[in-house]
Amino acid sequence: MALLTVRNLHARVAGKDILKGIDLEVRPGEVHAIMGPNGSGKSTLASVLAGRDGYEVTQGEVLFDGKPLLELSPEERATAGVFLAFQYPVEIPGVGNLHFLRTALNAQRRVRGLEELDAMDFLQLAKEKSKLVKLDTAFMNRSVNEGFSGGEKKRNEVFQMAVLEPRLAILDETDSGLDIDALRTVAGGVNALRSPERGMVLITHYQRLLDYIVPDKVHVMAAGRIIRSGGRELALELEEKGYGWLGLKDGASTAVAAKGGEVRR
Amino acid sequence: MTSALAHYLDVASRFHARDASAPEWLRRVRAEGLAHFERQGLPTSRDEAWKYTHLAPLVEGTFVPPEEARRAGDLAAVVDRLGLPGPRLVFVDGRLAPELSSLSGLPRGLTLKPLRDALREDGEVLEALVGQRALASEHTFTALNAALLEEGALLRLAPGTLSEVPVQLLFLTRGDAPVLASPRILVVAGESSEATLVETYASAGPGAGATFTNAVTEVTLEDNASLHHYKLQAEADAAVHVGGLHVRQGRDSRFASFAFSFGGVLSRNEVHSAFAGEGGEATLNGLYVGRGSQHLDNRTALDHAVPRCTSRELYKGVLDDRARGTFHGLIRVRPDAQRTDSRQQNRNLLLSESAQADARPQLEILADDVKCAHGAAVGRLDAQALFYLRSRGIPRAEAERLLTHAFAREVVDAVPAGPVREKVEGLLALKLPGAARREVRA
Repeated sequence: MALLTVRNLHARVAGKDILKGIDLEVRPGEVHAIMGPNGSGKSTLASVLAGRDGYEVTQGEVLFDGKPLLELSPEERATAGVFLAFQYPVEIPGVGNLHFLRTALNAQRRVRGLEELDAMDFLQLAKEKSKLVKLDTAFMNRSVNEGFSGGEKKRNEVFQMAVLEPRLAILDETDSGLDIDALRTVAGGVNALRSPERGMVLITHYQRLLDYIVPDKVHVMAAGRIIRSGGRELALELEEKGYGWLGLKDGASTAVAAKGGEVRR
Repeated sequence: MTSALAHYLDVASRFHARDASAPEWLRRVRAEGLAHFERQGLPTSRDEAWKYTHLAPLVEGTFVPPEEARRAGDLAAVVDRLGLPGPRLVFVDGRLAPELSSLSGLPRGLTLKPLRDALREDGEVLEALVGQRALASEHTFTALNAALLEEGALLRLAPGTLSEVPVQLLFLTRGDAPVLASPRILVVAGESSEATLVETYASAGPGAGATFTNAVTEVTLEDNASLHHYKLQAEADAAVHVGGLHVRQGRDSRFASFAFSFGGVLSRNEVHSAFAGEGGEATLNGLYVGRGSQHLDNRTALDHAVPRCTSRELYKGVLDDRARGTFHGLIRVRPDAQRTDSRQQNRNLLLSESAQADARPQLEILADDVKCAHGAAVGRLDAQALFYLRSRGIPRAEAERLLTHAFAREVVDAVPAGPVREKVEGLLALKLPGAARREVRA
């Protein structure tokens, strides 16, 4: 059975239609990449799936594990196993990173009927998981994302994902704005979290990410629809020809594509 | 004359008749206090300084000074809970409770005395101190306090004295009688001395009835002296609290004030500090947390009368239900006070539609070579942060508590780590239930 099923999803923000009929199916173990130029609706899709306020679904449905997702609150979705790595992680002064994450993990465990982790056990877990993204323990003790660099914020997102172990991870432009070293670290963390039970949706603007995280399926989004789906070769073709190849305008991507890039497998 | 004013005048007159054996200077202080109180009367909302303050609880109550002290041994558990390690004087319903007080461990050079003893033994010292910083002619509640002067404390630090442990003054009310407590606290910190003074005001039960505490603290910091002053006000919901802290800072002195206002149906807390010598530093921090129909009123006044002094102010308010918070911060920079460096911040978090905050910064700058910045804000919980927490599985109510506590923490975190901060955290946790403490650092 599919982990995530999106059927004919339409959504609007501030009275403006952004998603105009999205269909998507993610099975356990699959990694899907959704690419597309700015303004195509990629991040709106991520926000709608995570339950952010201000997005109005006008048509269609989303099933998670066969059950309707859209009627759940954000915290219920998280507890069901949906995780969103934010494009712009929020700084929360005064809330310690570790305390926040333990509160989140224990809130989820409570609902699932599991015993809560005490501070010592949690610290052990956090230390182990932080190695995945080479996050120094000093960062874990600071306020959530406060004063973190762009790369540190993204690593912190993947660290949270490692601790919460979601069944579906949606990574919203987790690669944007990262230097190559930081990108390698983040991608390494994501790859380590790939598993036969877990589905992933990588939302990205740049094909470069897919040199480090090899997707099973690639979708190209434009003007609120998925206009093309395929395997890994679609991303390569896109890299070579740019969004212009699909009749899309996007300066930034064309420039990246023109520069080329190393391909790793 | 209003009936409330008549009531307090009557109360003060009877008080004077009762203690006719007092020394002449003390009778004069009380008589002048009474005269100034009668002239100024009780404030009304027409008075600019009280415009935003809801005075009904004060005007409607018929509070009276305490009779002779009652035994208070049954409050030992309360004192254990609120007490700090170190010397302390405990007052119950406005009267010294010797059986709960402890003067052991006083460092050499530090004198701590109940005011009653000092009135008997140190008349000349007191005569020179009382009313020097807190002027009965300018503050009507200071005048009322002077008219009823009897209880309180005298704290003196000889030059160079270093007190590592905090000195605590703990004021408890039982709430089973409409007591008017009028403590007067006098502090003189000699040259290059250093100390921490904690004033704690709390209700000890069993009653939850209204009480009225009208406290006045006068502080003189000699050159290069340093005082950390904490006021922890966590009285019962029905309590009325008016407090004035008046400070004069000598050259190169450092004064840090932390005013935590958690209790009371009406709480008015004033902090006035005047720089009398160059190079002084003043830090005024405050946190007021109100719910129900509490009204928490804060007023600060910094007088930059001389050059090269620095002041920093951060007052934060958290207001829920129909609670109301007021901050009025005056910074006066006199013509000679060049190189003044002053910053003031007041930020308020409203947790309900009916809560209200009034922020009124007031800068009077008469010198030209100064740095003065101020900011005031009234807002709600950050929707982005709330979603971020919920997206990780934290239920809405818990996420709101986390963010609220984080907002308040900034002031608590400015308190140096130690027993005082632990007490503040404990009182705050009671006030903001469910708010967790910061994780122990790994």
